[in-house]
Parts: sequence; structure tokens; C-alpha cells
Amino acid sequence: MTDMQRIYVHPLPVRIWHWANALGFIALILTGVQIRYVDLIGLMSFRAAVSLHNWVGWVLVGNFFIWLGFYLFTDKIRVYHPELSPVKHFRDSFRQLQYYGYGIFKGDPNPHHLSAYHKFNALQSMAYQIIMLLLVPLQFVTGVLLWDLKRFSGAVEFFGGVRVVDTVHVLLFIFFTAFILVHPYLASLGHTPSAHFKAMITGYEEVDE
Amino acid sequence: MTNSAPWVGSAAVLLAAALMFAGPASAALTDGDNACLGCHGQEGLQKTFGKGESLPLRVDGAAFEGSVHAPLGCAACHSDVELKTHPAAGKSFDSVRAYSVAKAAVCEQCHEDAFKQHEGSVHAKRMREGSALAPTCTGCHGAHAVTPKTAYQTCVGCHSAALAAHQQWLPNAALHHEVVSCAACHAPAALRMVDLRLHDPATKTWAAEKAGEPWFEKLARSVDANGNGLDARELLDLVKRINPAGSAAPKAFRGRIELRSNVEAHRLSDKAAAIRACDVCHREGAEPFRNVVVSVAGPDGRPLRHAAQQEILGAASAVVSLPEFYAIGGTRSPLLDVLFVVALLGGAGFPLGHMAVRWLFRKYRASRE
Ligand code: HEC
Ligand code: HEC
Ligand code: HEC
Ligand code: HEC
Ligand code: HEC
Ligand code: HEC
Ligand code: HEM
Repeated sequence: MTDMQRIYVHPLPVRIWHWANALGFIALILTGVQIRYVDLIGLMSFRAAVSLHNWVGWVLVGNFFIWLGFYLFTDKIRVYHPELSPVKHFRDSFRQLQYYGYGIFKGDPNPHHLSAYHKFNALQSMAYQIIMLLLVPLQFVTGVLLWDLKRFSGAVEFFGGVRVVDTVHVLLFIFFTAFILVHPYLASLGHTPSAHFKAMITGYEEVDE
Repeated sequence: MTNSAPWVGSAAVLLAAALMFAGPASAALTDGDNACLGCHGQEGLQKTFGKGESLPLRVDGAAFEGSVHAPLGCAACHSDVELKTHPAAGKSFDSVRAYSVAKAAVCEQCHEDAFKQHEGSVHAKRMREGSALAPTCTGCHGAHAVTPKTAYQTCVGCHSAALAAHQQWLPNAALHHEVVSCAACHAPAALRMVDLRLHDPATKTWAAEKAGEPWFEKLARSVDANGNGLDARELLDLVKRINPAGSAAPKAFRGRIELRSNVEAHRLSDKAAAIRACDVCHREGAEPFRNVVVSVAGPDGRPLRHAAQQEILGAASAVVSLPEFYAIGGTRSPLLDVLFVVALLGGAGFPLGHMAVRWLFRKYRASRE
């Protein structure tokens, strides 16, 4: 931990999006659980949970477009550029897995080296793309359909019926619940436990020379 | 004061006229009924009341013939009418409303249950308080064209502002009005059920059995081998048999919340007592979801029903067998509950386990520094 350099990895729009999204997800999970398990939990009334869930849902839909717009209209999208050589991508992913599942215990260095256009390791880059371009939009679309089944009855029918739409919404909710528990833990595995959290606030990540 | 006096002299003339102009008599009705319709099937006859109001006396014979009461004949409800003395002997009333209220009392003779329930309803109460608009039996069912078709359509005829009033407090009010019968909320003391009705996407209406071609009850009974109500597998089987492989527009069951007994639709309460708590339905094991039937409209509009087990609503196979019915809470899937618990345990367990292993290796790491 000698010579640390500060590099700017999280531009302001990304940081705003990230924390709004994190709070929103937690609120959606809590209200979602309340909606689903009125018989078990009494955080708030069913009615309050539904209306809060819908409001927060819409705010997050808007927030998503901050994220999407930022990446579409800046060259920062390069952080998500896929590794074009599948062999290399595979090897990097495997190394990263090996690090989290074994090397980290022994004190091996993290195989991923961070830079402004290379802030994600191979695993993160893939996981975040699936989450942000597939799972999150699917959660939003199913949520919006459930929000007004009558207005969107054509689309609901297209997806195979309200039961199908809701089941997808709930399956994704289950995934996001696990995600929200694991994500902060993985984020604490930087060179210090709070390093990545600070970076998501200040925008600057400290890296070894 | 009697209104019939002017008629006494001309009764004979009228009778002759009626016999001359009578329309074709219906073969389905008795001669007695056709005799009544000889005069009352015509336009123009009317009765004047004390306050000067008048009531058209035409009865639509064809509609009566198609009504549930056709086999009973006119005399079942008009036993006071004797052709020999009629119409001269007719009683007099102050107003059409007074006449209508008095006549509706006849329904009690055969529908004592409905009558009793109605007597305790908000409508009967308002009527006793002097409302000139609150309906009696005929206000909702009519008098001569009573069919088993749902009488709920009449509610919005009088309560046209109801939807807007519900939108003030009920989310997705239009959808709720479509899938929850008015009485399910407005007869709070009644018991409810889930009625899974077969819907036909080709015609965009409820699927109905044609007269003379019964199939639903037989099919449901043969699928429900042990006769204890359809379980999840049997429902899947029923749906497959209704939609043979390759059906272009498969019919699907759509759920509605109805009363278990239609008679209880008359126990309408004051709006203050109506159900407004969401979790009467939107919770696991909610009362309406403990009783489930699948149904198809019969040829006369009356539903043909077959019992089903409660568990079909949350079964994993419901994604296929009931894709078009889902109501938060009442149809919760136990499988998804299990997955959720696994996700919670896994989501919390992974960090804890990983941390524990790191802790076990702490000395090894320190030795490598
Ligand atoms: C000769 C024609 C004629 C025939 C046949 C006839 N009615 Fe009438 N009916 C009348 C007329 C005219 C009035 C109007 C009397 C009045 O203004 O008080 C009337 C009135 C009525 C009324 C309303 C007034 C009241 O007293 O309740 C009923 C109900 C009624 N008829 C039923 C019947 C029935 C049932 C039959 C068959 C059994 C029948 N009518 C046969 C001519 C006829
Ligand atoms: C199920 C009972 C029932 C039967 C059956 C029935 N009526 Fe009526 N009828 C009534 C009632 C109730 C009224 C009062 C309706 C009202 O509120 O105006 C009525 C009213 C009438 C009136 C007065 C005009 C009116 O529409 O109010 C006539 C005329 C009449 N009935 C004729 C007949 C004839 C003719 C038949 C047979 C073809 C017949 N009714 C069968 C119950 C019945
Ligand atoms: C003389 C007996 C009698 C009288 C009086 C009578 N009904 Fe009925 N009602 C019946 C019979 C019988 C049926 C048919 C039941 C069946 O088919 O299962 C019936 C059926 C009905 C139904 C349909 C029930 C269903 O299964 O959906 C309604 C609604 C109804 N009557 C309303 C009335 C009204 C309103 C009055 C007064 C205007 C009235 N009835 C007077 C005998 C009567
Ligand atoms: C406020 C409207 C309203 C009034 C007033 C009303 N009904 Fe009904 N009635 C209904 C509804 C709604 C149903 C439920 C069945 C359906 O139509 O889906 C029903 C059902 C019935 C049935 C069929 C019950 C069954 O077991 O299937 C009968 C019989 C009946 N009513 C008779 C009467 C009689 C008799 C009166 C007067 C005492 C009366 N109704 C007053 C709305 C009304
Ligand atoms: C013939 C017209 C008419 C029909 C049909 C009718 N209603 Fe009503 N209803 C009234 C009137 C009039 C009142 C009394 C309104 C008032 O006092 O402000 C009333 C009152 C009510 C109330 C009480 C509202 C309050 O302020 O507490 C409810 C609930 C209600 N009706 C429900 C129904 C339902 C459900 C149906 C169908 C099954 C129905 N009504 C059919 C005329 C009708
Ligand atoms: C989900 C339950 C529910 C359903 C379904 C429902 N209602 Fe209501 N309705 C209520 C409650 C609760 C109130 C009282 C609202 C209030 O106090 O403001 C009410 C109020 C009313 C009122 C009084 C409105 C006013 O202006 O204050 C009428 C009339 C009425 N309902 C008729 C109907 C009719 C007709 C239907 C069927 C088309 C129906 N309702 C379906 C729960 C329901
Ligand atoms: C992204 C995180 C989200 C999570 C974790 C989540 C979670 C949940 C859960 C658990 C339920 C209960 C479903 C059931 O029991 O069947 C639910 C219902 C629902 N969700 Fe979401 N949801 C999310 C996003 C959204 C969004 C973006 C919207 C759109 C506005 C939305 C709208 C709805 C609606 C309308 C319902 C039905 C209940 C209601 O009327 O509120 N959700 N959600």
C-alpha cells in the first residue's frame, strides 16, 4: 500500500443513479415483501405498500434512463464493452472466480487491474450487463403492466396472461433480494473494506501504481 | 276514488276489439295467458293513477315466454285478476310507485329467502325512509322478463356515478368492478368464492354451452376421477381437453369473486359497512379464496359449476392452467415462497460463509505478508 493513485471511475450521473437505485431497490423489496406477505409482516398497510411500491417503481424507471442515457451518450460505455475474444473473456472470468473462491483467502492479489475505462472485472462486466439490460428492464416492464392491467391488457395477453407476468416479476424480485445481500459484501472486498463504497460517493478509486 | 269507473261501460266493446286485433297467440303459453296478452300484448292500453300518472299496460309476450316464469303463467302473480270482472274490478293506487311496490309483494310467495334478505338491505331501508327511487324486486329484476342472467348490470343503471366514486379510494377500480361482483363488497356478511369462468378469446365473451349440447358437467366429472373437486393436475387435464392440441385461440378460465349463494346478493348494506380493507382478499388463505369452482355459462345464462380444490390457485402448474387469473395474496404460490426463503438464506449465507473462511485463513495470510 505504498504509492496510491486516484482515478476518476464513477462520474456524477452514475453515482446519483447508483444510490437512488440502491435505496429504491431496498424500498421496493420491503414494500414488495409487505404486499406479498401481509399475513406475516406489518410494516405498513397493504394499501400503503401498494401505493409506495408503485411510486418508487416509477421513480426507478425514470432513474434507469439516467443510467442508460449517460452510457449511451458518453464514451463511458466502453466500460461495458465486451471482451471480443471469448477465450480471453472466459479465462479472465475463471481467474476472477478462482480469486474470490480461493486466492482471496490465501492473500493473492486481485487479478483485475482497474483503470478509468476498465473499472469492471470480467465477471462484473458480464453480470452487470445481464442485470441492467435484461433483468432490470424486465422487472420494470412486468411491474408497469401489473400497475394497470386493464390499460395494458393487450401486452399482458401477449406475454401469456397476468399470472405469467406476475410470476416473472416475483422470480426477479427473488433474484434481486439475493443480489442486494451479496452485492454490498462483494463491494467490501476492495483493498480496504470501505474503499469501493467511498469511491461510489466521491467518484475516485485509489489504485496501486 | 276509483279509476275503473269509466271502463265499466265500455268493457264489452274493448273485449270485442281485443279479440279482433289480438296478435298471433303463442303456442308455448296457455290459452289463459294468451287471453290476457290478447289485450295486454297491444300498444296503447294504459292505467291512470290518482295523481294523474299513467302506466302503459303492454306486456311483451315474447320476452315473457323466454322468462323463467313462463311456465307459471300470468295467474301465478295476478291471481286477483278474474277475466269476468276484469278490468273493472282493478284496485286503485295513488301513484305508479305505490302500485309497483304493492305488486312486488307477490314475489315473496315463492322467493321467501330473497325477500327476507332484501327486507334488511339498504334499498329496503331507504324505501321505508321514503326514497321514491330505491328498488323493490322488480327494480332490479323487472316483472315480466326475469331471466337468470346477472342482475348486476342493473346496478350501474341507477348508480352510474359508482365507478367514479370508487376510483377515489380503490386502486384499479375499473378492473375491480370487472372481476369482483358488487355484492362481494356490498353484502359484507355474505360468504364469497372464486368463480373460474371459461372465457373465449375468439368471441371475447364468456364461453357458453349451446342448448341441447351439454358437455361441461360430463367432462368435468370424468376428469375429476375421485369426485373430490379438481386438483391441480385434473385442472390441467380439463384445460387440455377443452383446448385440443393446436387450438388457435385457447379458451382460458378467468377468475371472479362472487357470492357462494346468489340469494345473499340481496343483503346489501349501507356503504359505511361495505368492504374496503384490501386484505380481505389480498392475503394468503383469504376467505373468498377458500372456495373455488370452475364454471361455464349454461344455455340459459345460469352458470354450470364444478367444485375445485383451493390449492389449484397457487399451484406451480397454474402458470399453464390459469394464466389469466392472479390476485395478490389469495393465489400465492408456495413454490415461490420456498424460492424466496432459499434466496434469503443463500444471499445472507454466502457473505457469512465467505467471511468465515477468510477469518480461518487470517494467520496463513499474515504469514505470507
Ligand atoms: C279485455 C281486455 C283485457 C283482458 C283480456 C285482460 N285485461 Fe288486464 N286490463 C285491461 C284494461 C283495460 C286494464 C286497465 C284497467 C284500469 O285502468 O284500471 C287492465 C289492467 C290490468 C292490470 C293492471 C291493473 C291492476 O288491476 O292491477 C293488470 C295487472 C292486468 N290487467 C292483468 C291482466 C291479466 C293477468 C289478464 C289475463 C288473466 C288480463 N289482464 C286480461 C284489459 C284487459
Ligand atoms: C312473476 C310474477 C308475474 C307474472 C308471472 C306476470 N306478472 Fe304481470 N306484473 C307483475 C308485477 C310484480 C307487476 C308490477 C310491475 C310494476 O312494478 O309496474 C306486474 C304488472 C302487470 C301489468 C301492469 C303493467 C305493468 O307492466 O306494470 C300488466 C298489464 C300485467 N302485469 C300483465 C301480465 C300478464 C298478461 C302476464 C302473463 C303474460 C303477467 N303479467 C305475468 C308480476 C307478474
Ligand atoms: C308462483 C311462484 C313464483 C313467483 C310468485 C315468483 N317467482 Fe321467481 N321463480 C319461480 C320459479 C319456479 C323460478 C324458476 C326456478 C328455476 O328455474 O330453478 C323462478 C326464478 C326466478 C329468478 C331466477 C332465479 C335464478 O335461478 O337465477 C328470479 C330472479 C326470480 N324468479 C325473480 C322473481 C321476482 C322478481 C318475482 C316477483 C316479480 C318472482 N320471481 C315471483 C317462481 C316464482
Ligand atoms: C338491488 C337489486 C336487486 C333487488 C332489489 C332484488 N334483487 Fe334479486 N338478485 C339480485 C342480484 C344481483 C342477484 C344475484 C344473481 C345474479 O343476478 O347474478 C339476484 C338473485 C335473485 C334470485 C336468484 C337466487 C338464486 O338462488 O339464484 C332470486 C330468486 C331473486 N333475486 C329474487 C328477488 C326478489 C324476490 C326480490 C325482492 C324481494 C329481489 N330479488 C330483489 C339483485 C336484486
Ligand atoms: C332502480 C335503481 C337502483 C338499482 C337498480 C340499484 N340501486 Fe342501489 N340505490 C338506489 C337508491 C335510490 C339508493 C339510495 C340512495 C340514497 O339514499 O342516496 C341506493 C343505495 C345504494 C347503496 C347505499 C349507498 C349509500 O349511500 O349508503 C348501495 C351500496 C347500493 N345502492 C348498491 C346497489 C347495488 C350493488 C345494486 C345492484 C345489485 C343496486 N344498488 C341497484 C337505486 C338503485
Ligand atoms: C372492492 C369492493 C367494492 C366493490 C367491488 C364495489 N364496491 Fe361500491 N363501495 C365500496 C365501498 C367500500 C364503498 C364506500 C366508499 C366510501 O365510504 O366512500 C362503496 C360505495 C358505493 C356506493 C356509494 C357511492 C357514493 O357516492 O358514496 C355505491 C352506490 C356503490 N358503492 C355501488 C357499487 C356498485 C354498483 C358496484 C358494482 C358495479 C360496486 N359498488 C362495487 C366497495 C365496493
Ligand atoms: C426493481 C425492483 C422491484 C422489486 C424487488 C419488486 C417486487 C415486487 C413484489 C415482491 C411484488 C408482489 C408480487 C406478488 O406477491 O405477486 C410486487 C408487485 C408489484 N410490483 Fe414490483 N418490484 C420491483 C419493481 C417494480 C416496478 C419498477 C414497478 C412499476 C411501477 C412495480 C410494480 C408492481 C406492481 C403494480 C405490483 C402489483 C402490486 C401492486 O399493485 O403494487 N414493481 N413487486
